Amino acid sequence: MTTQKRLAALLLIAALLVSVAACTKTPAPPNTGPGEEVSDPNAGGPQPPVTQTAKELKNWVTYLTTVNEMETFNILYSQNNKELQVLTNCIDPLITHDSYGNMIPAAAESWSTEDNGKTWTFQIRPGIKWVDYQGNPMADLVASDWLYGLEWVLNFHKNEAKNTSMPTEMIQGAAEYYNYTKELPEDEGKALGLDTFLTMVGIEARDEHTLVYTCLAPMPYFPTLATYNCLYPAAPALIEELGVDGFRACTYDNMWYTGPYTITTFVAENEKVLTKNPNYWDESCKRFDTVTYKMVESADVAFQMYQAGQLDHVDLTESNLTTIYNNERHELHNNLAEARPTKYSYQIHLCYDKNLEDGVTPDDNWNKAVANEAFRLAWYYGLDATNYLSRTNFINPQKCANYTYTMNNLVSFSDGTEYTARVRELLGINPDGQSFARLDAEKAQAYKAQAMEELAAQGVTFPVQADYYISGSSQTALDTANVLKQIFTDCLGDDFCVLNICTYISSIANEVRNPKKASFYINGWGADYGDPQNYLGQETYGEDNAYYSDAYSKINDATDPQLIDTYRQYTQMVNEAAAIVDDMDARYEAYAQAEVYMIEHALVIPWYKNVAWQVTHANDYSKIYALYGCQTNRFVNWETSEDAYTTAEYDAFAAAYETGAKQ
Amino acid sequence: MTDSIQTMFDEMPDQGGRIYSTDALEQMTGDSEENLFSFAEYHPEEAERTGYSDYSYWKSVWRIFLKKKFAVAMVILFLAVFIFSFVALAIGKYQYDNLVPDNRQMFISPNREYWFGTDNIGRDYWCQVWYATQTSIKLAAIVALGECVVGVVLGCLWGYVRKLDRFFTEIYNILYSVPTIIYMTLIALMIGRSFWIMCITLILFHWIYMAKNVRNLVFMYRDREYNLASRCLGTRLGTILSRNILPYLISVIILRLALSIPSTIGYETTLSYLGLGLDVNTPSLGILLRNSRAYFLDYPYLLIFPAAIVSIVTVAFYLAGNAFSDAADPRNHV
Amino acid sequence: MLKYTIKRLLQSLLTVFVVVTIVFLLLRLMPTDYYFTEDELIKLTDEQKDDILQAAGLKDSAFVQLGRFYAAVFRGDLGTSRRIMNGKPVTEVIGDRFGISMRMGCMALIISLLVGIPMGILQARHKDGVFDHLGTAYTIFINAVPRLVSYSLIYILGVRLLGLPAMYSTRQTTTSSILPVVCLAMGSIAGYALWMRRYMVDEMTKDYIKLARIKGLTPRGIMFRHVLRNAFVPMAQNLPTTFLLTIGGSLLVERFFSVPGMGPLLTNSINRYDTNVVQILVMLYASMGVMGMFLGDLLMSAFDPRIRLTGKGGESR
Repeated sequence: MTTQKRLAALLLIAALLVSVAACTKTPAPPNTGPGEEVSDPNAGGPQPPVTQTAKELKNWVTYLTTVNEMETFNILYSQNNKELQVLTNCIDPLITHDSYGNMIPAAAESWSTEDNGKTWTFQIRPGIKWVDYQGNPMADLVASDWLYGLEWVLNFHKNEAKNTSMPTEMIQGAAEYYNYTKELPEDEGKALGLDTFLTMVGIEARDEHTLVYTCLAPMPYFPTLATYNCLYPAAPALIEELGVDGFRACTYDNMWYTGPYTITTFVAENEKVLTKNPNYWDESCKRFDTVTYKMVESADVAFQMYQAGQLDHVDLTESNLTTIYNNERHELHNNLAEARPTKYSYQIHLCYDKNLEDGVTPDDNWNKAVANEAFRLAWYYGLDATNYLSRTNFINPQKCANYTYTMNNLVSFSDGTEYTARVRELLGINPDGQSFARLDAEKAQAYKAQAMEELAAQGVTFPVQADYYISGSSQTALDTANVLKQIFTDCLGDDFCVLNICTYISSIANEVRNPKKASFYINGWGADYGDPQNYLGQETYGEDNAYYSDAYSKINDATDPQLIDTYRQYTQMVNEAAAIVDDMDARYEAYAQAEVYMIEHALVIPWYKNVAWQVTHANDYSKIYALYGCQTNRFVNWETSEDAYTTAEYDAFAAAYETGAKQ
Repeated sequence: MTDSIQTMFDEMPDQGGRIYSTDALEQMTGDSEENLFSFAEYHPEEAERTGYSDYSYWKSVWRIFLKKKFAVAMVILFLAVFIFSFVALAIGKYQYDNLVPDNRQMFISPNREYWFGTDNIGRDYWCQVWYATQTSIKLAAIVALGECVVGVVLGCLWGYVRKLDRFFTEIYNILYSVPTIIYMTLIALMIGRSFWIMCITLILFHWIYMAKNVRNLVFMYRDREYNLASRCLGTRLGTILSRNILPYLISVIILRLALSIPSTIGYETTLSYLGLGLDVNTPSLGILLRNSRAYFLDYPYLLIFPAAIVSIVTVAFYLAGNAFSDAADPRNHV
Repeated sequence: MLKYTIKRLLQSLLTVFVVVTIVFLLLRLMPTDYYFTEDELIKLTDEQKDDILQAAGLKDSAFVQLGRFYAAVFRGDLGTSRRIMNGKPVTEVIGDRFGISMRMGCMALIISLLVGIPMGILQARHKDGVFDHLGTAYTIFINAVPRLVSYSLIYILGVRLLGLPAMYSTRQTTTSSILPVVCLAMGSIAGYALWMRRYMVDEMTKDYIKLARIKGLTPRGIMFRHVLRNAFVPMAQNLPTTFLLTIGGSLLVERFFSVPGMGPLLTNSINRYDTNVVQILVMLYASMGVMGMFLGDLLMSAFDPRIRLTGKGGESR
């Protein structure tokens, strides 16, 4: 090869490499808005800046793990907590909550019904502005924006079938409109305006500030749905500007905001910054100047960062908690703060029509056993969840104990009695905080003996094999399952029932639920609206909307007549409760009776709720706290402190909160 | 860079067969120049004697290998660890199959009852570590052997049969030009994670490197005169490959084999961290290491024991493999 | 030369096509449940899931989808992401990230070349000296301890003792890049040093070096005129691939330090069934791979006059 050729080759390579390098665009610096009006929360180094005069924090720095990175900025499209926890700060709902879970006005000044909840009228607050991410006013928020929002959700081609289940179950004509758009070709669907929608769906804007929904039937709890993201507004001018695809794929810097914050910086899987919206309608509410989310690799990294002063809050993992709690000299020993329960209520969902491992042959042994009420009651009275609960809450395991199907604090009677307290009263359970209150060893023994006798007569072989499925990649799930297995051995004895831990690869629905391979599941349900119906309606017999009956318990495929009778009775009780719309106390009482019936027959076994520990600079009891919907993560009216709160302070907060609740 | 995508030893550029003769050459030049030449005395009887050497290939290999004390020590250490993993399970106070979670016993540092302490749900760590050691070594050995068999056979074909060259080169391009992690993820998500799936996928994606080495060497020796002669005399392809060519490849094969074991263990750790490793029900050292990451600041022993075993195995094979491949090179046998 | 280049480029195109098609079809064998988040899986009924998949165009047969994909690529439309960031063009998703990965990778590459090669040379020149043993010990340590463990150690050292930022930040790129770059460079320094030492020791004993010494060249002259130049030939072959692969980022390091780069994108997009992103990524990686090999061959032939590239045969070696 001559020198020239060699030179040519070198030049070629250089050219190619340069062209590649030229394609790499240097990442644009994160946009913090014009004039850099946004203060940089990290300007002074890693320590979150704190104004020395005020004791409260002006800027809040929190974290999420990277798997929880947002996948969309469109709040109507999102169905995940990971996006909603950010986006509910960006756009205001009709109604939001206070720290006791009471509904308080947000974009709607007031709401009312005149026909026991069939039609609902919302008065939209005048003067709310849509703003862009820098806080510049773009348009006024008017009642018709909710029409565009609902049309968007129900239009198959616009919102790709997301968030449709609640509106189609509750609003008149919604299901019909959804199916109508589904039949249309894509471009026609995308081109639809409000005309057809308004003729079909029960929603109207009487004037600029009056919004009226018509429900399928009287629904006294409809306003609680108005906190949820399926009933959020959309600005028609923005849809116009971005186009249908552009609006679905809107980004933080081209979307419009009405909420307390706007997103001013977003670096995927790294950081996002929320900045106070200067044009927010509610000037009286307390907000941070900025809220920064850091995206971290794992909870352990977050703990390291907290210790290095780079975060204001950290949830403790099991090992962090044990270490800090057991070491009196640990710097965080006095800062352990117990978080409040999350909205999920976990149950042991039994499967009444289980197959063997091949997914086809019915597992007669299990199906006969589980249809036997004494068998189920032996579990109900016998299984001591304490060790399971300590996996989450090592210090106060019984705080995680759950004795009801409905989550606590969802609704209350007019005299202030909390709904699940009433259920527990009817069940005769008085938790003392020391032990798992439902336990009754004598009853468990008696039911065990009875079940063994009755079932042996039916040809059931003991021990009954119970298959429990976990994800094959989750070590935490395996550890928990091992604890559970030990509970079965300790509490019921290996002669009665043996737990087999099995694994699935990717999809519990396809691999386990549909072929009905598991004996039971432990699963948590969090409510979408504030009514016991959202819980109890999931377990009814022979009804379309009963999600758990359909997907988990498979009761509709069961054959045992006695079991089916029990379920029929329960279903009837739920439906009777649902029909009471004029007297909420009577309604809740009826639901409570139905729930007690379900639990006393151990159709489902209540198991667990999530109460974890944390180290934090914020008072959780000052935050919005609602056991349904998606408003919990709004950064408004938070009490914070420069120093992490101590355990004693937190106990005082809890006590003060309790007194507040009673008033 | 490519830390996760390529195994660690692949980061060294491909060196063909050239590098393994270092020590012999060093010995030659290490002598000072004066010593290189001296006058031989003339003995008529000696001059009449016919040459004879009791040269045996494997004997020489062993002789040279055994000279490398450190490498031998490492091999012995590895064997000790491996054998001990069985002994350890037998003498341990707890049986792996009967481990019971107990939240009063969690995070106990090593003591007389729990020799390696207990894990986060209060189970004896000793038997877990040794059980995992067995799993990991078993996995690595199977993968190494599989890679070796598949790689050598296909590599010989690749190098010898000209028509197949294009085909194999294309396969090489397909496997090499895309990060293996893509295929690993796809397989883990589609078929699942288990010991044998892991073995097969690792072999499936790693044989090609062995094959490529072998192919390059076969290429070099294929058209040497003695092979030409052999072919003219009608020797079968298989015989030529196994008798005439394979002996030249042994040192390379052994080196790759030895290096493949630590690289498999390392790779398995990375995959476990990404959640693409073995099923949680078959703990390997990789899974233990991944789990201990969450605890090691407070309970370092959870990390140290598995990490130490991984390191011992890796270093042993690394040093022994290099020493053995030096010894297996006939040019060092003078 | 031109003919050869064209032929190689065509072959590369074919390889890319084959790889992309294989991955495309494999992806369609995956369970579609990955398209949903956990929140969604808990609450969606099968019917609702079907509707969502249908709206996303994932219910069609694999071959229809394949045809649609290639038609779109031919028009220059690389599609939009579905679950990395819904509706964002794939080019933007990748464009945002690969600059960061590449910058970090190049820094690490330069550091490891600048440190690794002199280290290897020094080790070879003072063979069996203290420095040599230290270097070897380092190499063995790096290779023996699993990356997971050594990165964790660096992380703890850096964050706890030196007070460096625990995660990458776009505001303080310099300080927050230190730990990831150290992690990246750590391994390849060992690789280059080991290789360089080996090569030098080998080469120094060759006949032509002896001849050069007899001719009276200084050791320094021999080093630069002969040894280093020859040493560079095999390295030249790998350099373009190494350089191009910096774009791909590192899965482990980028995950560890929350670097918004390319590394985790690949597994994330597979895990989330974001098929459009996976396909384009695979296409990118495959192109880089074959291009790297091709450039490597060119570069090698430029440095070693004995190697000629011809149109014959698939390989130049």
